[in-house]
Amino acid sequence: MTISDPSLDSVDSPDDDSDASGDSPAAARRPIDPERIGLGGLLLAGLLLVLVGTRLVTGVAAVIALALTLGTIVMLIVTAVLGGPEARRKIAPYGLLKPGMLWLALFYLAPLVTLLRNSLSTLPSRFAVKAEFDWNFGNYSTAFTDFGGQFQRGFGYAAVATILTILLGYPLAYVIAFRGGKYRGLLLGLIIIPFFTSYLIRTIAWQSLLADTGPIPNVLDAVGLQPLLDAVGIMDGDKILNTPAAVIGGLTYNFLPFMALPIYVSLEKINLNLVDAAKDLYSGSVRAFFTIVFPLSLPGVFAGTLLTFIPASGDFVNQQYLGNPNTSVIGQSIQNQFLVQNNLPVASAMSFVLMAIITVFVVIYSRFFGTDDLA
Amino acid sequence: MNTPNKNTPNNDFSRMAMSRRRLLARAGVIGAAGMSLPALLAACGGSDDASPTTDAGSGAEPAGSDAPTAGGGGGSLFFENWPEYVDPTEDDLTGTVDRFMAESGIDMNYAETYNDNVEYFAKIQPLLGTGKTIDPDIIAPTSWLVGRLIALGWLDKLPIDQVPNVANLRPDLMNPSWDPTGEYSLPWQTGFAGIAYNIDATGRELNSTADLFDPEFNGKIGMLTEMRDTMGLLMLAEGVDISTVSTFDAAASAFEKLEAAKNDGQIRRFTGNDYLNDLSTGNFAACVGWSGDVVQLAIENPSIRFVIPEEGGTSWADAMVMPKGAANRDAAAQWMNFCYDPVQAAQITAWVQYVSPVAGVQAELEKIDPELAVNPLLFPDDATVARTFAFANLAEDVEAEYDARFAEITGA
Amino acid sequence: MSAPSSPVGSVVRWGLNLFAAAVLVYLFLPIIWIVAFSFNEPKGKFNFVWQNVTLDNWREPLKDEALTDALVESLKIAAISTIIATVLGSLIAIGLARYRFKGNALLDFVLVLPLTTPEIVIGSSLATLFLDQDITRGFNTVVIAHVMFQISFVALTVRARVRGFDWTLEQAAQDLGASPMRTFWKVTFPLILPGILAASLLSFALSLDDFIITLFNAGSVSTFPLFVNASFKNSFSPQINVLATIVLVASVLLMASGTLIGTLRSRRQAR
Repeated sequence: MTISDPSLDSVDSPDDDSDASGDSPAAARRPIDPERIGLGGLLLAGLLLVLVGTRLVTGVAAVIALALTLGTIVMLIVTAVLGGPEARRKIAPYGLLKPGMLWLALFYLAPLVTLLRNSLSTLPSRFAVKAEFDWNFGNYSTAFTDFGGQFQRGFGYAAVATILTILLGYPLAYVIAFRGGKYRGLLLGLIIIPFFTSYLIRTIAWQSLLADTGPIPNVLDAVGLQPLLDAVGIMDGDKILNTPAAVIGGLTYNFLPFMALPIYVSLEKINLNLVDAAKDLYSGSVRAFFTIVFPLSLPGVFAGTLLTFIPASGDFVNQQYLGNPNTSVIGQSIQNQFLVQNNLPVASAMSFVLMAIITVFVVIYSRFFGTDDLA
Repeated sequence: MNTPNKNTPNNDFSRMAMSRRRLLARAGVIGAAGMSLPALLAACGGSDDASPTTDAGSGAEPAGSDAPTAGGGGGSLFFENWPEYVDPTEDDLTGTVDRFMAESGIDMNYAETYNDNVEYFAKIQPLLGTGKTIDPDIIAPTSWLVGRLIALGWLDKLPIDQVPNVANLRPDLMNPSWDPTGEYSLPWQTGFAGIAYNIDATGRELNSTADLFDPEFNGKIGMLTEMRDTMGLLMLAEGVDISTVSTFDAAASAFEKLEAAKNDGQIRRFTGNDYLNDLSTGNFAACVGWSGDVVQLAIENPSIRFVIPEEGGTSWADAMVMPKGAANRDAAAQWMNFCYDPVQAAQITAWVQYVSPVAGVQAELEKIDPELAVNPLLFPDDATVARTFAFANLAEDVEAEYDARFAEITGA
Repeated sequence: MSAPSSPVGSVVRWGLNLFAAAVLVYLFLPIIWIVAFSFNEPKGKFNFVWQNVTLDNWREPLKDEALTDALVESLKIAAISTIIATVLGSLIAIGLARYRFKGNALLDFVLVLPLTTPEIVIGSSLATLFLDQDITRGFNTVVIAHVMFQISFVALTVRARVRGFDWTLEQAAQDLGASPMRTFWKVTFPLILPGILAASLLSFALSLDDFIITLFNAGSVSTFPLFVNASFKNSFSPQINVLATIVLVASVLLMASGTLIGTLRSRRQAR
């Protein structure tokens, strides 16, 4: 248990620095290192809660586990009271973290374990409420064979929408950051304001705007764009609602701020003198942009990609309101199998696969960029 | 019902859902089985004099605003029903729920939150399936689901002995196939599924299920998520008698047809009640729809028509049942008794425009609105009965096959 | 960036400005629809086709009782969950930013995970937990679910805000004889309060608007988004647009006043 974080750049109080490692002489003096108690207690309590939450331990064992969980908290307090100021200071972060972290252990980690177990279970009968755990990997093959198309479309639509949010969001963020002047705050507010109305109502608004007799197809028709859009496959004849383009358009709309804002943040940090110098150096705004500005804004683009792609890949609201039966996506399949067909095992398997794929993305991302840009 | 046929402006939200009957009488747009009913064009004069109901006093008050005290200590009741399935209090008419509350003193919670049989079943399953109870005292699932709930033991027997008016139950609904002893369910309304279309979008009258597969309407067709109505029409078009069907094979070719239509993009969406919106905005040219619903839409939008296709339409029944452990049995019995009074039932029928399960409604409706009393969609004549079929009760394993295949096709 | 002198450069520049303006218009299209249709007088049950202008919907914004109930339920859930999540999340943020300790990276990762998990996974996994534990889904489970995703959000947002905080101030206060508690309430808390407030407001908004996670864990409870979703099938009243517009305006006012207070505060400090 000697995980430390070299990348952490938080400012510690000076006296912290003298004794950051658990192997210091101070630790050797005391029989028990308060840091170990803190971290160990936190992890143990979290683990116990996960075990209880997932019913991996039940009955008497569960009572004991819960008692132990309480015990770790008592231990923390005892250590703090007996250990003196230095021990208190060392143990403080664990005390601060504990309530929230235990909540996450019980209501984030434990559900994932339950989900995994359900995905390997079988419904004993058609209308059974609970699935019985029996290492049924068949649910995963069902998930891939019956819903492979939905996985592909889910990720495909999300990817296209993410690219579109970059194409729309980058110029917007760029103009605000470099040309907004004193109106920057106001312009940023304008990006955010539309998102103070309900996500569902916004999507329903698009449903209405795109309807066959709605304003947008009428305008497209009036300006003569309809044949062109039909030819490139965006419109289906004279309709745009209930097409893949409508689904992607809805996703793009709903996640645009999640792209534009991180890009803005990274652009804003760029030193303008640097850009000016680059312009002199490379004699041209375009080259200056691609050699200096764009590379420096990449962290924002990547953060935005994560913040857009992840929710978009699991979304089903846009498909539900703007799509058709041939555009169903994985999020919708999970929802349908879970809440309508009552096929918990297969829904859980699909959910878990989605989670696993996304987690791989996140792990790769955090390896390269850390997690600071996501907040 | 005292219905001064005035058209005073009024800011009520409910105005948009004015009494179907009165609007119908005014607009007179309805095509039953392809035939329009010009007789309905007559103004609603007949209704003014007929005042069979009680309590004119609270007539002008909005729903639920007054705490009824008439009967005193009547307890409470929670009925979770399909939307637009009872006459509301609007304009100067008191809705059935409010009339009941005033007369019985029972505080009734009437929620229109039952949207879809399959979805609702999935919602109550974790509760009823583990011996817990659900909030509503009465729900009104479609007959096939009633059968399933009885088989699962998730229903209580109705307090039929406290419902003397049960004697008014239509004879053909006594001991139905889904509830052979008739102890668990009492039909709320029955009706038909057929083809609804927007003549502005189709450009022609439709009268056949085959029209739903007309390439001309590619991407403009809607189908219901209610499997028995959608598949019922398709199977009838394939020449299958759905009232006696017992195997999955009988439906196989209809399923293939549905799947092909979906893959070709013929079907725009599978919908629940929301087909009404798509139909009126023209997103759907035609779709599978329910008779009473479409009639109301036709009043607002004269381009909307409903037809029982020549290949045959489905007939269905939604029935009141009490989930296991429902608390307010006495109040439920009073409500059922109230609704099975032909005088009250006629008020409901006049508004919902479905086929009432209560015998004697036709005679009462004649007093209110003689034209409605001869509408074959409300009081089916022999010709209509001959062209509509109820979906047979499927054996559980067969039903599972149907459900799985249908779920597979409807996407998701 | 200084203005480029070439004519091509100015075309590019203005093209870019126009494009950005067009994107802003795109962002506002549905908002215009929502606000406009709150003044519509629909014919029939669905407020989707423009008919006539009316103020009736605004005279009776609470007319649709079930809708109002759903909004109140949403506000209750958002208030309760935000309070819990703000306390738990802020504690984590202070712990993470204030101290360097073992397990920091691991805990940091655990904190980020919920934010990078698709909502559908969070919703369905929590629902399996509640099903397994025989917990009837309803108001409480929705609050639990909302607190869950809000904690991470609050913690990371507050941490980002207190990152630049000068912790030596605490030391100074204690050196001057202040007790740790007094130090926290008199020195630390006022300084991190704006960050906490901003985070809690945003997480309130997240809770109010959550649909997917709520759908899986609501049982028979109806929240504003759930009600809107069901309304699309049954009857979409103009009151939905009215209430959505009110929520929008209230949020904008809140944001504007927050910005204003922030500006005044920084001016005062600058003086």
